[in-house]
Amino acid sequence: MSEKNRNHEILEKVSDEPVADGFDLRLYVAGQTPKSLAAISNLKKLCETHLAGRYTIEVIDLLVTPQLAAGDQIVALPTLVRRLPEPLKRVIGDLSNTERVLVGLDIRSKTGSRT
Amino acid sequence: MNRPSEFSSIEHSQLIELQDRLREAEETLDAIRNGEVDALVVGGPSGQQVYTLENADRPYRVLIEQMQEGAVTLSEDGVMLYCNQRFAALVGADRQTLIGESIERFLAGEEIFAFRRLMTLDRGFGRSAELSLLASNGLVVPVNMSIADLEVDEQMPKVLCGVITDLTRSRERSHELAAANLRLAREIDERRRVEDSLQLALDAAEMGHWDLDLLNNTLTRSTRHDQIFGQVNGVKGWGLLTMLSQFVPDDRNAVNEEFLRAESSGSVEFERRIHRLNDGAVRWVQVKGRTFYLNDKAIRISGVVSDVTERRQVEEQLRQSQKMEAIGKLTGGIAHDFNNLLMVIGGSLDMLDQRVAKNEKITRYLTAARHGVERGATLNQQLLAFSRRQDLRAETICIDDLINTFANLLDRAVGEAVTVKIEAAPELWYCRTDAHQLETAILNLAINARDAMPQGGTLTLKTTIRMLDVQAATANGASAGDYVAVSVADTGVGMTPDVIERVFEPFFTTKEVGKGTGLGLSQVYGFARQSGGFVSIESCPGIGTTVSIHLPRATSLEATEVVADTPVEVRGKGIVLVVEDDSDVRAVASSLLEDLGYSVLEAETGSEAMKLMDRGERIDLVFTDVIMPGEMNGIDLVRAMKIKHAGIPVLLTSGYTAQRIAMAEMAEGLQLLRKPYTQVDLSLAVRSVMKDQA
Ligand SMILES: Nc1ncnc2c1ncn2[C@@H]1O[C@H](COP(=O)(O)OP(=O)(O)O)[C@@H](O)[C@H]1O
Ligand SMILES: [Mg+2]
Repeated sequence: MSEKNRNHEILEKVSDEPVADGFDLRLYVAGQTPKSLAAISNLKKLCETHLAGRYTIEVIDLLVTPQLAAGDQIVALPTLVRRLPEPLKRVIGDLSNTERVLVGLDIRSKTGSRT
Repeated sequence: MNRPSEFSSIEHSQLIELQDRLREAEETLDAIRNGEVDALVVGGPSGQQVYTLENADRPYRVLIEQMQEGAVTLSEDGVMLYCNQRFAALVGADRQTLIGESIERFLAGEEIFAFRRLMTLDRGFGRSAELSLLASNGLVVPVNMSIADLEVDEQMPKVLCGVITDLTRSRERSHELAAANLRLAREIDERRRVEDSLQLALDAAEMGHWDLDLLNNTLTRSTRHDQIFGQVNGVKGWGLLTMLSQFVPDDRNAVNEEFLRAESSGSVEFERRIHRLNDGAVRWVQVKGRTFYLNDKAIRISGVVSDVTERRQVEEQLRQSQKMEAIGKLTGGIAHDFNNLLMVIGGSLDMLDQRVAKNEKITRYLTAARHGVERGATLNQQLLAFSRRQDLRAETICIDDLINTFANLLDRAVGEAVTVKIEAAPELWYCRTDAHQLETAILNLAINARDAMPQGGTLTLKTTIRMLDVQAATANGASAGDYVAVSVADTGVGMTPDVIERVFEPFFTTKEVGKGTGLGLSQVYGFARQSGGFVSIESCPGIGTTVSIHLPRATSLEATEVVADTPVEVRGKGIVLVVEDDSDVRAVASSLLEDLGYSVLEAETGSEAMKLMDRGERIDLVFTDVIMPGEMNGIDLVRAMKIKHAGIPVLLTSGYTAQRIAMAEMAEGLQLLRKPYTQVDLSLAVRSVMKDQA
């Protein structure tokens, strides 16, 4: 098995077409580090619960394509980037703190119930 | 990063954005501090680089440590930079001691070169070879080693990684597999041999094999099976019905029932008739088989079939000849008694003839009475012929010659309504037989033919030659060889099979009282058997009958001796001891002898006769019956006399002179007088014996 093969398996897109009024998310990871694996699995769970039907996720392995780090100014991994809706937002870490992720992605307000 | 001096000139929206970015930066720092990230992206001269934190590759480590394959990282020259626990276990060494060691330590002899070849091989993605590792404990471990080059910086020394799979189990398994294969192959061989020899045995026994699958009603058959049923190229699919249709209509139901019964009884065995397909012949087949069950349900019946027609014929023949043998014994007994009666009547007539003053009437009565005795004697001869207790005066004769001299007689015997055809044989064939009896036999057949054609017809007499092999001969109760067949064919009423079955029995007749005696074919039968031959009958009601007498063919023509009759009685003198158990016959014999001038002593048994001789009576001739009841018959008497009274001559007499009884004694010059005898016969025999002795 080669490094490249393994990373291709991880790289995935749930959907090709961005959904109107949907969330276009991009998760940057570093191979299969524990946090990267945790982030992928947390993100999927979270999106299914709160954004079902209106999100796309693109996972980018920077071990394979480090040059992509520059575009979104990634400094630490894993990092989740909300590309749409604007403005661009970033959440760093393994996304285990759901509350913080929801606030970070502006899905829920800092104080509480804003839909 | 932004400088504080520029803050004032920044617009509100920009401020918000900057605040956000600051928050993000703080969060990033927090995240790093809190350990929420495990990789960093650092910009460098050659672009972005990702550094994973120390424990970031743990999943791979665990994977490698846990896996059941040995894993090593090697330098270019085979020094181990890393190895997992499994590899250490494989080579039976402590892991710590292995790092820095050359892996070649665990490779023996030739294997090292194979390993080096593997290491230097074209840098493909991976390459592998099967090698033997020499473990520390001396065990040799077969492994598969696959090697891949690790891509590292150009400046760094070359590093390779290898995965080593233990092949011991799979080798064992393939050995077991090979052994199992071998066993299987042997078993198959063995079974094939058994099948072959079974096939051979079946072939040798001329048995066919069949297998009836009850579930889908198909019948699998061997080639021999199809041959037996007369289906030369039997590719057609058979079911039970096809099988049933081979049997003659009368037997079909019975066969069907046999098969139905076999499903519950577990086996099948029967003999039934089939119509053989290729020639339409009716053949007897024997079918034997066994039922096989699955969960108590009969699923197939399998077995053998053989053509038993010939065996049944032989059996039938045997039954027939056993019956004839029994009847023959009975008839022989009757004939013996009958002969004695004729003897008494004939002898008494001879004596009356001499003592009574004759007038024309008396002479006529006497002649009629004698005629009756003669006819009785003739019948008795036929009985004796049947019981095969008659002397065969065997001589080598040409059958054709005999038939030619006989043609006139035949013509007269059958009458004018019947045309007699005599077909000359292509060759002159010889037989060793009794010409007189053969004539009688042909005459009997001719008379039967005449009786079968009351409205006239054709009688054909012909001679053919038949070569019988063992099988054909056995079927006829004879031995293999060439036979001359004398056949009498008629165009008469013919016979039904049940009549044919009984025609040889003495006294079996379908003719009116006074017309048939039932002895004609009995004579033919007995004569043929006694000559070493047999009789065959082909008959079809309404069409005709052919009866053939088969006599063994003789190869050389022997000179035949002609005996001239001497019709005059010869008188004599001397004392004759008459030994005879039947008092009437004894009285007649004594009277005849006295009449001829002899003195007579009488004895009822052999031992009584011995006593007389022992007493020292003067005796010039012992005239004794051969067959007598009691412990001493005529032959025994002769033997006893040979010891004590060898000087006294003996004349034997018998009603039936079964050759085998008298043969030994005859060879020693004993004479035998056949009953019934006339006074003339007696006088000549007595004279001849006494003259020999004098
Ligand atoms: N040529 C023949 N055609 C038809 N039936 C025959 C012929 N020869 C013999 N038979 C049958 O066999 C029986 C026995 O024959 P045989 O022994 O010669 O005695 P018999 O002629 O005195 O009856 C006859 O009664 C007759 O039924
Ligand atoms: Mg007759």
